Amino acid sequence: MSDLSEKDIEIFIEAIGGYFKQITHEAASIGVAYLAQNAFPMNDFTGLIKVSADYTGALYFSAPSAMLRHLLTVMKETDQSEENLLDAVGEIANTISGNARKYFGENMVISTPEKIIGIPADLNRSEKNYAYVIIIKWKHYSASLVVDIKRIR
Amino acid sequence: MKLMIVDDSNIIRSRISRILSDPKLPPIEIVGTAANGTEAIQLFKSTRPEMITLDLTMPEMDGVECTTLLVDEDPEVRILIVSALSDKATAIQALKNGASGFLYKPFTDEELVNALLELIKE
Repeated sequence: MSDLSEKDIEIFIEAIGGYFKQITHEAASIGVAYLAQNAFPMNDFTGLIKVSADYTGALYFSAPSAMLRHLLTVMKETDQSEENLLDAVGEIANTISGNARKYFGENMVISTPEKIIGIPADLNRSEKNYAYVIIIKWKHYSASLVVDIKRIR
Repeated sequence: MKLMIVDDSNIIRSRISRILSDPKLPPIEIVGTAANGTEAIQLFKSTRPEMITLDLTMPEMDGVECTTLLVDEDPEVRILIVSALSDKATAIQALKNGASGFLYKPFTDEELVNALLELIKE
């Protein structure tokens, strides 16, 4: 089992940057990835994608409700119910992980998104390994991408 | 032209419907939407669309399996895969199974329209 490299993490940074540029026509500011073991910067809503086959772990995209509402407005979506805010974090997590397969290949199998209100239970474990955290700033909002993925083959 | 939208994301189904409601486009009648492959097969049998936008990563039945079953039902149906899965092997597999085109998420309004117009021309 091995940790992802800095080059590997760059793929996720490019994917999240590409998402905001494509959807909002406006670049998001993406911070340098850092390692954290706990104290992950989680927000109101989180989309979680589990990976399997040659990889294990998960990717989390977590955003405040106000940011998700603004994104839905940009997409001309008028239904900004809690259900659609959850749908949005799930779809963003799905898009980032799906786009990353261009680099990681089909042997990074990704799950359908799990959508969570509040802090995901898996990130609260005290024995948690280190995971990469990437902060995304768009307009005056801040979201986070946590990449807790290891290569096992 | 009759179209069915298949995606497990409500906001994607809603966005595709909204983009295609533009009166400047050739008339496209959205005959229904489905959130997974199983629903898609049922809806296909009752509405017989000529075109389908189809996600790949979905619960119950994924888009790759769904493509095969839809083409078995109607070999003439035109399927546009709309997915974030960006590896070459997945795209090739979907096309081998009978899909007519592949559009990567995230997509712009214009990219979706152009991809569907290409399918209409075929």
